[in-house]
Amino acid sequence: MQNTKIQRYVRWLHRVEDILLAGVLTLMLILAMADIAMRLITGGSLIWIPPVLQILVLWLGLLGALLASRSQEHIAIDVISRFVGPLGKKICGISGCLFATIVCGLMAYFSIEFIQTSIEYNDIAFAQIPAWPLQLIIPFTFSLMAVRFFFHTLGYLRIRNYQPNPALTGKAI
Amino acid sequence: MAILISVLFLLLALMGAPLFAVIAASALWGFFQQDVNLQVVAIEIYRLTEMPVLTAIPLFTFAGYLLGESKAPQRLVRITDALLGWMPGGLAIVALIACALFTAFTGASGVTIVALGALLYPALKKAGYSNNFNLGLITTSGSLGLLFAPSLPLILYGVVAQQLALDIPVSIDDLFLAGIIPGTLMLVALSIYSAIQPRDPAALQNKSTFDAREAWAAIKDTAWEAPLPFIVLGGIYGGFIAVSEAAAITAFYVLLVSVVIRGEISLRKLPIVMRDSMKLVGAIMVILAVSLASTNYMIDAEIPTSIFNFISEHINSQLTFLLLLFLFLLVLGMMLDIFSAIVIMVPIILPIAMEFGIHPVHLGILFLANMQLGYFTPPVGMNLFIASFRFQRPVTELYRATIPFFFILLATVLLITYVPWLSLVFID
Repeated sequence: MQNTKIQRYVRWLHRVEDILLAGVLTLMLILAMADIAMRLITGGSLIWIPPVLQILVLWLGLLGALLASRSQEHIAIDVISRFVGPLGKKICGISGCLFATIVCGLMAYFSIEFIQTSIEYNDIAFAQIPAWPLQLIIPFTFSLMAVRFFFHTLGYLRIRNYQPNPALTGKAI
Repeated sequence: MAILISVLFLLLALMGAPLFAVIAASALWGFFQQDVNLQVVAIEIYRLTEMPVLTAIPLFTFAGYLLGESKAPQRLVRITDALLGWMPGGLAIVALIACALFTAFTGASGVTIVALGALLYPALKKAGYSNNFNLGLITTSGSLGLLFAPSLPLILYGVVAQQLALDIPVSIDDLFLAGIIPGTLMLVALSIYSAIQPRDPAALQNKSTFDAREAWAAIKDTAWEAPLPFIVLGGIYGGFIAVSEAAAITAFYVLLVSVVIRGEISLRKLPIVMRDSMKLVGAIMVILAVSLASTNYMIDAEIPTSIFNFISEHINSQLTFLLLLFLFLLVLGMMLDIFSAIVIMVPIILPIAMEFGIHPVHLGILFLANMQLGYFTPPVGMNLFIASFRFQRPVTELYRATIPFFFILLATVLLITYVPWLSLVFID
């Protein structure tokens, strides 16, 4: 009972992330095209488009990283784990994910401090818009990544032959 | 203690911990040692918003995934076959050119092997080539073309180099120009090898000739995609549009053609393509973000300078340095994928290489050429595993199949390394 409730929340969270990601990408595409069109038609451009695009890149990159942590598709060297047996894979999986959990947790913590400073100093992103709401994406994604890596760690601990990436479960692409 | 921590991080990286976590940890540890407030790591991540050219990365990747999901690969093979298939070794050359073009546009992420390999592998077999040759050719072609505009690794190298505030500025446009001859050299070398391949005599009976009607049909079939390379490459090389604008136009155009005009990707499928492509973008960007921090730390700690001092005690000629660099990059390319290799190693290597009088644009080209080789260098080159997975072959069979290709490209990489003219001829 408890489990299905959690699963429902997780599914809901996944959907929010997916929609946010698709929305940011679409917005980026529209703004980038609008910028080009403005330049062609009027010879000038809307001053706020380039800085917004640059912030969208940050959002897209971090949301993409969050997505990659869902199925553990982050870039890794993977030299050892390719050539060891199930127990070796398990040890590699546990140590890698636990390490990532700690690092992401630290990153989330220090980025919250960073935002506090940013609020204190009234940092401005562009025009009159304060920077801190745009910076929130950093702790948001890193804290969720920490949670996700923690669950992967549990997965490796508890489940035999745990494989978070569905594309690698042995079926051809 | 410091050494112990470095060894621990290295071990975790080799055991498959996400690279971004390893880099972030080393940046955190480095700054902690210097008593710097660790907020600095978040500040560095936010610096991603200060680089306008970065919009090119998600947009080109998205366009590449859309192309891979549509039927563009089939059309690409059809048109190159119709136009070039009649030449000796025609189909193999078709495979090389189609893969190079596709890789340049999709960013060398293994998509080429998956999208084009499935089409080319059976076709090559039918044309009478040996199985070993086919496997080797397709695995090799998966990274061919990353020296051509608008490939993501070239853009990323430019972005990283620009962060270093060098005496000689590195523009992405210059990198695009510099890649033309070295990339073509690789294509030509592999094409010659393919043209002299023995083929099954039975398959040679139905020798293909140039068929004007099929050529015209193929051209009509690609009418929508054909303008794309001209718009993008013409626009960039002609100086009409910036790289990020080219990316926006490409993504928009491909979206329009594949979803609205041809209807090959349904609206229902579109969010999935977005998600898959942004996964790769996220994996690259988060490494770039944290390595901005680690680079900053390394420059503060004057690590490149001390490495240079150490090296220059033992080596004083550029020729020897280049040889060492070549060997080092070969090993690096085996272990690291191209994107992490660029963001991690370029900030260290580039300042040292410039002390030895190497032009930063030339370094970029030889760096990427080496990495291209690394994609299929045993035992851990990424494309070997993708091909092994895709074609359900043991990876050891792919080691054997790629050996001749490896030595051919090795020769071209050495040429690119020792003849800077090949890269710099078009640069002022």
